[in-house]
Amino acid sequence: MKKIIALGVIVVIAVLLAIFGRDLLDLYRLQSYITTSTETYQAERGNWPHLTDACTGCHGSHGNSLNSTYPSLAGQPAAYLSAQLRNFASGQRFAPNMGPLAMTLRPDEIDLLAKFYARQSVGTHGPVSPDEDLKDRGKQLVQTRGCTACHGAQLMGHEAYPRLAAQGQDYLLAQLNAFASGERIEPSGAMQAMAAALSAQERQAIAAYLAAIVPQPR
Amino acid sequence: MSTDAPPDLKRRQLLKLAGATAAVGSIGLNIGLANAADALLKDNPDDVFDVVIIGAGLAGLTAARDLHLAGCESLLVLEARDRVGGRTLNHDLGSGYISEAGGQWIGPGQTAVADLARELEVGTFPSFYEGETVILGGDGRVAVDLKGTFGTDESISAKLSELSRDVPCGAPWKSHRVAELDKLSAGDWLAQQNIKPEDRAGWNASFLLTCGVTPAKMGFLHFLSMINSAGSEYMRLDSIKDSAQGTRIVGGSQVLSSKMAQLLGDKVRLSCPVRKIADWNGDIVRLQTDQGEIRARRVIMAIHPALCQRLQFDPALPEARAALQRAWPAHSPARKTAMVYPRPFWRDKGLNGHIIQVGGPVIWAYDNSPPNGEIGVINAFILNAAAPTDLEAAKHMQTEIYARALGDAALEPVSYHDHDWAHADPWTITCVSPIPPGFWSTHGEALRPPCGNLFWSGTETADIWAGYMDGAVRAGRHSALQVLNALRKV
Repeated sequence: MKKIIALGVIVVIAVLLAIFGRDLLDLYRLQSYITTSTETYQAERGNWPHLTDACTGCHGSHGNSLNSTYPSLAGQPAAYLSAQLRNFASGQRFAPNMGPLAMTLRPDEIDLLAKFYARQSVGTHGPVSPDEDLKDRGKQLVQTRGCTACHGAQLMGHEAYPRLAAQGQDYLLAQLNAFASGERIEPSGAMQAMAAALSAQERQAIAAYLAAIVPQPR
Repeated sequence: MSTDAPPDLKRRQLLKLAGATAAVGSIGLNIGLANAADALLKDNPDDVFDVVIIGAGLAGLTAARDLHLAGCESLLVLEARDRVGGRTLNHDLGSGYISEAGGQWIGPGQTAVADLARELEVGTFPSFYEGETVILGGDGRVAVDLKGTFGTDESISAKLSELSRDVPCGAPWKSHRVAELDKLSAGDWLAQQNIKPEDRAGWNASFLLTCGVTPAKMGFLHFLSMINSAGSEYMRLDSIKDSAQGTRIVGGSQVLSSKMAQLLGDKVRLSCPVRKIADWNGDIVRLQTDQGEIRARRVIMAIHPALCQRLQFDPALPEARAALQRAWPAHSPARKTAMVYPRPFWRDKGLNGHIIQVGGPVIWAYDNSPPNGEIGVINAFILNAAAPTDLEAAKHMQTEIYARALGDAALEPVSYHDHDWAHADPWTITCVSPIPPGFWSTHGEALRPPCGNLFWSGTETADIWAGYMDGAVRAGRHSALQVLNALRKV
């Protein structure tokens, strides 16, 4: 009798799977995804809802933006990130979107965010320029201007100096232009002097080259 | 008030009508109406306008239209962009069809914008939501009929509605519970509600869409004030059917501004950004623009506080107002897309074209087809960082997602439109206002008081539905009354 019941159950399940198989599988996958992503979230950040969520929209959930106009924060040195957040808050670095947000952050929150993004892996990002000549010119300029002296041999950044390798091309260009115009400043004045001495085309070439660099482990 | 008012009525008669209109507005204009008329009619040199309005969005144009209908002809609207409409914008889909790239819905209790639409003879129609919504996450998928809602937990919704009754939308800082509520983020409160893991993505999406930020950085007091605007019914704020996303405007929301601009003719000056405002505390305010200096007796500031912050003021604004502008949150630069199909094919399958994707890049996609579904349009709010800058790549990414949700026909769109408000031009900066914890306690009192001859307007100053199109219309009407009253005292 038990065998017959067991057989009956198997038949029923088989019929259900035949009718609803794909939907059931899809539902199971959705539930699995939610379970897995919830566990990962808890392990990486802590309890939901977490402060780091606030950055996700523009910078990506782990600081890797596919959109080249918004900077990737993943793998940026913590000292650099915290300094920028403080500069946004004080108005020393002008950014209409970031200023008021940074003003709401307590020192411990700045510390938390800087460390969180500093430890994220640098991922693949959006499309880069297909113009090989432009990137070659950019490479030469990066070498002759000695960018690696501050930003590291692999241009992956360290301490107060940001990672440039694999950063968004449009963001890099906007920053070079901001240094050139004096809208953005940094303590040494080196960036302003360097950027102002470059032509608009040279700044484009540098941004194209830097964005296309494959990021290396630091 | 009607747009059919004869254009050739005598100015003096209209000015008296203005006085009467203002008196209805209960701001104490029951005396001195004749003086008001005389004041406006006195010898004005051509180069000094009675009123200049900065910003040709819904608020600025509503203010201008009210002043114009009241007989104030010495009037100019300055707009930095080469178009009107502010944060409302129509994507032109061709063949007379549009899809909205900016603010687009109205709902119950939004009587000011509904009245304006009627006055301008602009029709409305319901948002499409009948059928099953598709929820995606990883490689999983489920289709469920949410009955015109976002599937919000009713018990949480009821608690929020109840709490919102203590937070007046016109002045959250005057809530008797301000000390307790303004120190909390919405995330702090949600963390105490045992939200199930499967509901968290829904709350994240809701906050991103309605507040412009995820819960951890949204002030709970302000969130409650938004629910208070919706008659203290959470589901009227954050749902589709019978809510603030329930009704659309025929021809797209920008048509309201276009029609008002048409009425105003050459009183609207495009591509004329204001850079500096001098002598705002004197009799004649001097506006330095890209088209030269413009002088005015009164100025309505119908622009976002973050844009006010971009202007130079000489002398500097009072510290309380300056601090409000400096701190006003501007980190919600929404990116909105429209995918166009020959017809809304998903409706044949019992789907409503709505997609919620757990983990993005699509936050929420929805059927934005024209009133009779003549063509199919899927609009979407997408995470700015999760979609490439390259439009072809962004389009491809979305069609793949839509195909999983709606079927392979989604792989063959007719056209694609994409608008990232942060980068489309420098004159938006942000969308809705994710007011953070503590903001209203510190800055609330500085929101509305005029500074000299500057009158603060824009949807952010509205006493009901601030941040919405309805709030913009209310703010415009209010500032027109304020200025009429001020001119009467000249």
